[in-house]
Amino acid sequence: MKYDIHQTTAYGYAYPVPVARHVVRMVPVDRPRQRVVASRFTVEPEPVEWTESFDFFGNRVAHIRIESAHTSFTVRTQARVEVDPADLPDPEATPAWEAIRQSVAESLDLGPDSPVHHIFPSPLVRICEEITVWTAESFPAGRAVLDGAVDLMERLHREFTYDSKATEVTTPPEEAFAMRRGVCQDFAHIMIAGLRGLGLPAAYVSGFLRTEPPPGKERLQGADATHAWLAIWCGTQSGWQGLDPTNALRVSTDHVVLALGRDYSDVAPVGGVLVGSGRQKLRVEVDVVPILDPPAAPAKPDRARRPPA
Amino acid sequence: MPGSIDQQARARRFEAEAVEALLAGYRPLPGVYDEMVDAEGRPRDHWTPMLAALAEMGAEEVERRFTAADRHLHRSGVFYRVYDDPSGGERPWPLSHLPLVIGAAEWRDLARGLVQRAQLLEAVLADLYGEGGLVRSGAMPAAAVAGSPEFLRPLKGVDPHGGSFLKLYAADLGRAPDGRWWVLSDRTQSPSGAGYALENRIAVARALPDLARTLNVVRLAGFFQSLRASLTRLDRSGEGRVGLLTPGPLNETYFEHAYLARYLGFVLLEGEDLTVRDNAVYVRTVAGLKRADVLLRRLDADFADPLELNSRSRLGVPGLVQAVRAGGVAMVNALGSGLVEAPAMMSFLPKIGPEVLGETLRLPNIATWWCGQQAERETVLGALDDLVVAPAFGRTMPGLMAQGARLGADLKLMERIELEHAIRSRGVDFVGQEAVHLSTMPVWRQGRLEPRPFILRIFLAATEEGWQVMPGGFCRVSDSSDSRAVTMQRGGRSADVWVLDEGPVEQTTLLPAVGRVDVRRQTGPLPSRAADNFFWLGRYVERAEATLRLVRTLAGRLSSSTEGGGGSVGRLLGLLDNWGAVPADMSRARPARFAIAALTRRDLGGALPGLIEAARNTASVIRDRLSPDAWRTLADLAVAMGEPVPLAAAEPEVYERADRSLRALAAFSGLASENMNRLSGWRFLDLGRRIERAIATCRFTRALVSETTQAGTLDVLLELCDSQITYRSRYVMVEAHAPVVDLVLLDPVNPRSLAFQIDRIAEHLEDLPGHGGDEPPKPEERLAARLAAAMKAHEPDDFDGERLLKIEHQLMELSNDISERYFIHRSPVETPWEQLA
Repeated sequence: MKYDIHQTTAYGYAYPVPVARHVVRMVPVDRPRQRVVASRFTVEPEPVEWTESFDFFGNRVAHIRIESAHTSFTVRTQARVEVDPADLPDPEATPAWEAIRQSVAESLDLGPDSPVHHIFPSPLVRICEEITVWTAESFPAGRAVLDGAVDLMERLHREFTYDSKATEVTTPPEEAFAMRRGVCQDFAHIMIAGLRGLGLPAAYVSGFLRTEPPPGKERLQGADATHAWLAIWCGTQSGWQGLDPTNALRVSTDHVVLALGRDYSDVAPVGGVLVGSGRQKLRVEVDVVPILDPPAAPAKPDRARRPPA
Repeated sequence: MPGSIDQQARARRFEAEAVEALLAGYRPLPGVYDEMVDAEGRPRDHWTPMLAALAEMGAEEVERRFTAADRHLHRSGVFYRVYDDPSGGERPWPLSHLPLVIGAAEWRDLARGLVQRAQLLEAVLADLYGEGGLVRSGAMPAAAVAGSPEFLRPLKGVDPHGGSFLKLYAADLGRAPDGRWWVLSDRTQSPSGAGYALENRIAVARALPDLARTLNVVRLAGFFQSLRASLTRLDRSGEGRVGLLTPGPLNETYFEHAYLARYLGFVLLEGEDLTVRDNAVYVRTVAGLKRADVLLRRLDADFADPLELNSRSRLGVPGLVQAVRAGGVAMVNALGSGLVEAPAMMSFLPKIGPEVLGETLRLPNIATWWCGQQAERETVLGALDDLVVAPAFGRTMPGLMAQGARLGADLKLMERIELEHAIRSRGVDFVGQEAVHLSTMPVWRQGRLEPRPFILRIFLAATEEGWQVMPGGFCRVSDSSDSRAVTMQRGGRSADVWVLDEGPVEQTTLLPAVGRVDVRRQTGPLPSRAADNFFWLGRYVERAEATLRLVRTLAGRLSSSTEGGGGSVGRLLGLLDNWGAVPADMSRARPARFAIAALTRRDLGGALPGLIEAARNTASVIRDRLSPDAWRTLADLAVAMGEPVPLAAAEPEVYERADRSLRALAAFSGLASENMNRLSGWRFLDLGRRIERAIATCRFTRALVSETTQAGTLDVLLELCDSQITYRSRYVMVEAHAPVVDLVLLDPVNPRSLAFQIDRIAEHLEDLPGHGGDEPPKPEERLAARLAAAMKAHEPDDFDGERLLKIEHQLMELSNDISERYFIHRSPVETPWEQLA
């Protein structure tokens, strides 16, 4: 699949901000199964400093400093990305979860793709007994790791309610878990917390989801948001497998990876500090347009799992 | 012959008997090594001179000297803050007066072992943040590294400034029953305690001055000079500016940060003082931005940069990691150095050591098994009763280890089951460690010596000549006689460590060394935040003084039967009310109640407790720049404010209390200004005072002087402005309008007059950076000049309420202008995150 992605993130300030410093992770990069054909990235107002680099996990990061008084800060990204279908392994054929746990604990790989970074508590995801106990129900002794994880994802999808009013960006997973409500970020964090509670490696992934129009209607422009899911390590054979608990989907060509890390704090699209007071307003628009060559095939009318915005 | 053989022998016998008496009740704990006496109870050679000296002094004299040492610590303001204390209180430094004595040969061995260990830890850090060969080769599993919160991924692959991660290293040691020293833990993040060791040494050396000399105790000053030189060398800009980065006054060891900064001549900085521009770090000072190339940090790395590390940190410097990456600043120790503190490391170091260094390790660390590995996990689970189980990557962990490590044998059945389950499911989080019994050293208790277990902390600095060991250290001595190391996690006292030299010690005494450091001290431009605090300290203290004068005058009028009326009591009450010093809801209470409220109510911003607290808080963040006496005066006053005044108190009691507090404030002002050199800090303090006093004088005059004013009221104004004596000496007559107003407002030689304050303000402004000389006058200077001109251009009668109010407003504007120009530090706010949906 090929997509054109447009993303705009705009902050508005009640009072002029004289100085600001931001860390921006809004440009996708090449990854296994994913190629960035072209990308463009602009910032307003003009920064006095702009340094781009790749962070530990290989995400593209821009460090920006602005020194002119401004009442809005806008980041725009355009990218054309090609995604190959995933080679989805049979869940039951993956190794037993206990074997995965032990092999990761004794792994000799400290590199950025290693699962060892994803078995420990991280800034936003603590290990929480309630979530671990709930997770353990999907992992009886000897069950294949991906089989258990898919089961967990489906249970989460069944038992939890998508509710954009219930949580905020900083809501800890244990709170969302107690409410059985939240958005994609909460669901990803909850699953990650549960898997790590059992000693299993789970990484947080942010990105974009192909959004298809309801039958007979125009595609809604800018109605979408940045999405999040997780990846679980299934051993050297199957590697990282993406799971999207919000939609109970195994990740393949519908998902474009933007960034990955231990939790949201590693991938936050825009972070920063500024000097100023008063309210800050944030507006995000995302468009993910599939490029269909040859010319547009009709959208599937029966797509039941339209992701919530 | 004074020293005949016979006499010497008698003296020795007498000494031996006295020492024996001193040791009579000293019973070492069974199965534990004692530092002072051997297994038979005989004193070890290197302790005998001290024991002899103590025996000769006698219990009373020893007691007297130890009390003097405590007094010294108290006077120097050596305190530590207690995290657990909900009131955030500070406690006196608990010194165990007897030092630990270590002989020269033993020390040499220890030092050699520690230098080797420092080299090993440096090599491990370099590998883990660099090539990663240790993990790839299987010497250490990756998860034993990745699990540490101090494995700072943004620093991976970043070469440390100056070529090494560690500039300062400390180890905690314990001595096993067989007499061997063991490393219990490593401190590589930002080792604390060196400053306390220094204070302990000064206090103990004061108590036992001759002894320290005759015993040839090695001095500490050389170590600190080397450390200072080594850090100064990292400064590439050559401006000699080294900062000590502190998390601030709420940290439990803030005193030590301030003390070390002062001792080493470094600027004490908080994150807010710093800003990163073009990959370099700058201090915001009253003279603009100044480079800071070297930061000795006492801030944990995780908090150092909210942009790339802990995003919730309010203590760090946004962009600092970027500056580190670009080589724009030297962090000491390098960010990420805390990685090798993890107990998990200890299970691999014994094996890695010889591989990395090519030599066997001289100093072992306690046997440790990381439970992430299957075989090790089974070992620990199989011997749980004999082992300590500890978090693998920190001191504590939620759950069973919330208070730290646990001895397997101490666990209740349910806890044990829970722990075994936790180890089986997430073994990566745990280590098992050998349960160590510590050796004991003597402490002095009620005239007797008693053995107490202790942990010894030793400090090392990387210098141009290689690792240098501080000849001394810092003992944490337990309050109980439980010798298991695991119970030593909190509490206790601290003791000095005396390393004996074989020959006489070179007299590079500590105190002249302090002087030498101070002479070289670059006072440098004052950080904006410090200036801001000085300014507000001045304002709060002056406001407190004005309020106290109001209260005292009020109490005086109320108790004096000759109060002539003229409504002065009502006007005084009105002034207190305007300042928010009395509650609004007591208009019908008797006036004395108002005075009491202004003295005691904690809930009113304008009442005394609030003002003194504000002054104390302000002073606490510039403590390194205030004299210890000045600080104590203020801290004592804050405590005195808490003493209740009986509601039924009569006016004389209120008067007395206000009077006493005024004297304490005067003492503070005297100490603060007399003991500060006339640099920017003092100027900002005095500017604050002058502006506040000028405002108060305007308000007093406005409230008390009008067309119909009577003599009694003018007298009140003179009292509030502390100008009665001057008036009486000049005018042999009852108070009259024009002379009183002239004295209080216009007289340029009356140090209480408005004109006097304005002249001082103008003088200060001229001397501040960016003023005077060829510089065009700044807004605040023009304002001060306008005010001064108004003082000269008008007569007493011209100063009606309206004019005074205008002057007040101009003074406030002046205060704002000063703030805007000089206090440019600002706390940044976070950009809100986008919620992913």
